[in-house]
Amino acid sequence: MFRKTLLAVAGALALIASPTLAQDGPLVTAEWVRDNLNNPKVRVLEVSVDPGVYERGHVPGAVNIRWHSDLVDTVKRDIVGKEQFQKFLREAGVGPDTTVVLYGDNNNWFAAWGAWIFESYGLGERTKLLDGGRKIWEAKGFQLDTQVPAYRPTDLVLADASPKTRARLADVLQVAEKKVDTKLVDIRSAPEYEGKIIAPENVKELAVRAGHVPGAVNFPWGQAANPDGTFKSKDELKKAFAALGIDGTKPIIVYCRIGERSSHTWFALAKILGYDVRNYDGSWTEYGNSVGVPVINLAGTVWQGK
Amino acid sequence: MNRIAGIAAGIAIAALLAAAVLSFDVYDAPSRTLALSLTFGAVLGVVMQRSRFCFLCNLRDFHLRGDASGLVAILVALAVGAAGYLAVFGAWMPVVAAERLPPTAHVGPVSPALVAGALVFGFGMSVSGSCLSGHLYRLGEGSIMSLAALAGALAGFGLGFYTWNGLYLADLARGPSVWLPHHLGYGGAAAITAAGLGLLAWAILSRARPQQAAPAPVGALEAVFVRRWPPALAGTLVGLIATLAYFRVSPLGVTAEIGSLARTAASQAGILPETLYGLDGLRGCIAVVKTALLSPNGVFVGGLVAGSLASALIAGQFRPVRPNLRRTAEILVGGVLMGWGAMIALGCTVGVLLSGIHAGALAGWVFLVACVAGAYLGFAAMKRFGKPA
Repeated sequence: MFRKTLLAVAGALALIASPTLAQDGPLVTAEWVRDNLNNPKVRVLEVSVDPGVYERGHVPGAVNIRWHSDLVDTVKRDIVGKEQFQKFLREAGVGPDTTVVLYGDNNNWFAAWGAWIFESYGLGERTKLLDGGRKIWEAKGFQLDTQVPAYRPTDLVLADASPKTRARLADVLQVAEKKVDTKLVDIRSAPEYEGKIIAPENVKELAVRAGHVPGAVNFPWGQAANPDGTFKSKDELKKAFAALGIDGTKPIIVYCRIGERSSHTWFALAKILGYDVRNYDGSWTEYGNSVGVPVINLAGTVWQGK
Repeated sequence: MNRIAGIAAGIAIAALLAAAVLSFDVYDAPSRTLALSLTFGAVLGVVMQRSRFCFLCNLRDFHLRGDASGLVAILVALAVGAAGYLAVFGAWMPVVAAERLPPTAHVGPVSPALVAGALVFGFGMSVSGSCLSGHLYRLGEGSIMSLAALAGALAGFGLGFYTWNGLYLADLARGPSVWLPHHLGYGGAAAITAAGLGLLAWAILSRARPQQAAPAPVGALEAVFVRRWPPALAGTLVGLIATLAYFRVSPLGVTAEIGSLARTAASQAGILPETLYGLDGLRGCIAVVKTALLSPNGVFVGGLVAGSLASALIAGQFRPVRPNLRRTAEILVGGVLMGWGAMIALGCTVGVLLSGIHAGALAGWVFLVACVAGAYLGFAAMKRFGKPA
């Protein structure tokens, strides 16, 4: 009886203590998210590629981020502006001391891109990814909810977007022309990197030239993930990148076709391994369309009219 | 067919369908969606077969014989689905945001192309003797000639793809995607939808002619498995299935797969413009180039035909008709017109009329008016030039 009471007290104490449950590092597990669903200092946000996924069932209490309107400038090609992003986060109940957890479909692909934008606006230290995304949450049989939550708006104030997380064409060009010592990582598929194809099948955003930026190494982004969609361990990632000469001793720039898949690799390198990494979101659709920039085409395809 | 053999075959088909649903991997999200789509399709197929829920047949019964029961079923389906959608919208978008549409709901653009597409679709279904969803469930009843309508629709979709870019660039396919709650709120949209449906019910019922006395009472088994289900029940079930399908997978529609087959075939043959301007940004039954063998809409349509087949076999209503040339030609031509119309209008009587009105889309109402007008033109044309369908 005494034992039972003691257990009950311990259980109650654990419950009281749970909101302060800490998780260091950039990744959180599905269990951690489940245990912190009622923690007012934690806000979960879903960034899924496909519309309707969030509405048909999401992590209880999670707020939806529509990447194609909430994370980008809808007219010019750019990430979302400060005012608009600040307004969105305030309404989502993200305050100055909220821990943000992002997750999404397609192996967290766009959630990682979201994390990069959160990082750009100075929220990186308290932004985490639910490792494995929706897939893991569903696979573990954790609850989904279809109600859209409403939170009390906060008075969050965002800093201007930092240039430290973002590389521009001029930065990449300096690397290509060997004017600065920075490592380039091209995370597209091998045929894209080699210049056999310009882009995967059924893709609308194309470039006029095929190939890659001189000096870039190829690391297809999926190699950073396990089959279940979780990130590989820190040691595995370290080893895999070291094999390509990427060991964190030099600054790194990652790119892909439109800068979204490369956010996944950016997350692995910058957040998990702690390297100095910028994402080049202009990526191949900017570089491969630029006039006069050097290009390496291993496949030997040359442009010609017919 | 021997009655017992028919029932056995129907039960076997139903068991196969159940086995197919259960064969999907529940741990994989896309597979779960396929299993659900197949289930919704099969159940809708049963309901359509049991209640003869066919847009054109119901309109024709009213036109020729003053029998309003089928149209009542459609109105009930519209009302129940609209109420169901509202319940879903309220959870997903508690506050109507000015610049947002509810995710994946069929709120298509209101444009001259919509009017033209719906008009031609309506004319085509008159000529063809059934709309596309009707042909699908009648295929399950052994209507072999319905295959001609589907073949025609594939060709019609191809023609639609050809004309699409021209219409789009001439600003004929573009238009505002009017969503009633944006302008009236959820309450106002519900009220105007109810008023519209009520007005239609009054117009229809006040013109209906008394039908023959109800047939003698039958046993419960016969009432469920053989006789036509009462219209209010049929409409309620269709509205319910529409709501559940929207909640779990996507709005009801039967042309996305037909369109995708046409688009995939045409683009593989290299006889289609590479890009269909603006199409992928619009709402409705949008044809995409196929990337997987099984798509949710594909298994939905397959389930619909199989569900109808099982139901027809059990009811003793599986009656293959020997195709005749003239009818087949009419069905084919009607199918081509319906395919073109459904491509240009971004859906058919199910995808735009039903799912659109459910969602509070003005496009659904526009389709309804233009499609009925087209159907009446078709009735007149068939009376004059053809045998009455």
